[in-house]
Amino acid sequence: MSERAAGSIYDLGYRRYAGVRLGRWHSAFSLYVHGLRAAFGLGRRASSKIFPVGLAIIAAIPAIGYLMAAAFFSIDISDVLQAEEYYSTTTFFPQVALMLFVAAVAPELLGRDQRHATLPLYFSRALSRYDYTLARFGAMATALLALTLLPQAILFLGNAMVVESFGDYFREEWGQVGPIIGSSILISVFLAAIGMVIAAQTSRRAFATIGIIAPFIFLPSIATVLVEMLDNFTGRIGVFLNPFLVIDGFTYWLFGASANVGDQLRDANFAGGAYFLFALAVTVIALALLLRRYGRQSL
Amino acid sequence: MPLIETHGLTKQYPAVTALDALDIDVEPGVIGLVGANGAGKSTLIKILLGLLPATRGSARVLDFDVAHEGSSLRQFVGYMPEHDCLPPDISATEFVAHLAQVSGLPRAAARERTAETLRHVGLFEERYRNLGGYSTGMKQRVKLAQALVHDPRLIFLDEPTNGLDPAGREEMLELVRRTGSEFGIAILMASHLLGEIERVCDALIVIDGGRLVRQGAVAEFTAALGSLEVEVDGDATSLAARLTERGFEARGEGALAYVALDGDGEETYDAIRDGIVDLDMGLVRLEQRRQSLEDLFRPQEESMAEPEHV
Repeated sequence: MSERAAGSIYDLGYRRYAGVRLGRWHSAFSLYVHGLRAAFGLGRRASSKIFPVGLAIIAAIPAIGYLMAAAFFSIDISDVLQAEEYYSTTTFFPQVALMLFVAAVAPELLGRDQRHATLPLYFSRALSRYDYTLARFGAMATALLALTLLPQAILFLGNAMVVESFGDYFREEWGQVGPIIGSSILISVFLAAIGMVIAAQTSRRAFATIGIIAPFIFLPSIATVLVEMLDNFTGRIGVFLNPFLVIDGFTYWLFGASANVGDQLRDANFAGGAYFLFALAVTVIALALLLRRYGRQSL
Repeated sequence: MPLIETHGLTKQYPAVTALDALDIDVEPGVIGLVGANGAGKSTLIKILLGLLPATRGSARVLDFDVAHEGSSLRQFVGYMPEHDCLPPDISATEFVAHLAQVSGLPRAAARERTAETLRHVGLFEERYRNLGGYSTGMKQRVKLAQALVHDPRLIFLDEPTNGLDPAGREEMLELVRRTGSEFGIAILMASHLLGEIERVCDALIVIDGGRLVRQGAVAEFTAALGSLEVEVDGDATSLAARLTERGFEARGEGALAYVALDGDGEETYDAIRDGIVDLDMGLVRLEQRRQSLEDLFRPQEESMAEPEHV
């Protein structure tokens, strides 16, 4: 009997928690870290990792490829693949990999909580609805930043290694670091905001993914028709419908180059700053819509 | 300090008034929130958690103003929603530990508390399995665990026995009772089943159609209108007859006599004792009848006896 009693005392061993409670910022930060891990399928089963990790590798293939070419043939590749070209329509498939990454990850980050009705569990804790939204958006943007910066870092360090003097290369190309980071951040928040606001509209994963991919397929075609067929201001404005060209525009501008690269950008003939401001505005509006969406979410 | 205090709390939706000028004042303990489906129980809980804004009126929980100090308040409360809220593809341990961190616990403490809390609700080896494979009973336990993991001072349980079979229901109620009485965590438990509330709670808030019907200690409710069940080792009808003679309301049936409680009950108890002694019988059992709470709400009984949605 006494043994059983001891056993049940052990079972009932409920202890009060006297440790620290770290409050709202810790709550939001834990959710952010959780989202970032979920974005790459970390801590999940292997099949959850295939898409995000695969796309991250695809996005880095040109960098790795050029680097290998440089290593085997000892050529200076910095002229072949410029940093500003990496996520442009010239190299194309890293850009597509980014878009697919958003389409795969954004529904995972937002749709899961809606589908399984876990939102009330989050909202009944220290963090606010806005904290939740920003933590999820932050996780998406950071995951994208990893995808945009990693290939650039490979390219930059690779170039630095194949030239004769590492130090000289660094000094010469130092000016590139700012634009590389700046354009990577803007590409990331721009795509994250668009992806998240679309993903927030449905709890169905497939719908969200299609909803994100569709505009990236249809809008560029519409943009092409407008810019190429209509030779007036209305037509030229159509270039902003193509998110890939918007990315091109502000990236070249951030690197201090002319934005008028390629047929359509040349025909549209806007200053690079216009694309920068446009991307910034889209990001802010999408984020505002996302916050509004979660502010009103009924539980 | 009252646990929950509301003044004129009102929630109006375009088509319906979910809560109508509620004035609630309850002390810490295990509190039952009773009402038919659609009486406004869930709405009240969500407002008290700061999840929904009230249309009018004010509410304080643990001395925090729910409208303005919701974020601070929610560090110290737990919430077990009525509906399913568990993602199927992660384990109970992972899920609860994650939510513990979101509750503000540092990582190591979150892990430790998760293991303890899951053991407390009766989940052992299965806690490493994915939640998708859990039975309803196990899922309810995980839902309770996530509400308890950060050691809150108050937990809101919205229909915790929903969808459970009778055995599972018993276990869940026992768990709730222990959480309240042995671990000193205040509980507000919503239910449309009076029997459950009566077994577990020591105070009661009754709402109907968004209005407060009554609030107070469960003992008050039963004492005021309760009746006693007396089991004797002789003929209870003669005892009942004797009590009726002396002006008490009583009836006998075999070895059982049912006696209505009078005033504070002192006289009734004395009369029963005297009657048994005079008749030279033995007293086997003397207790308040279980359904006494239901007697109180008999007009609402029909709506309360609605079958549960599973």
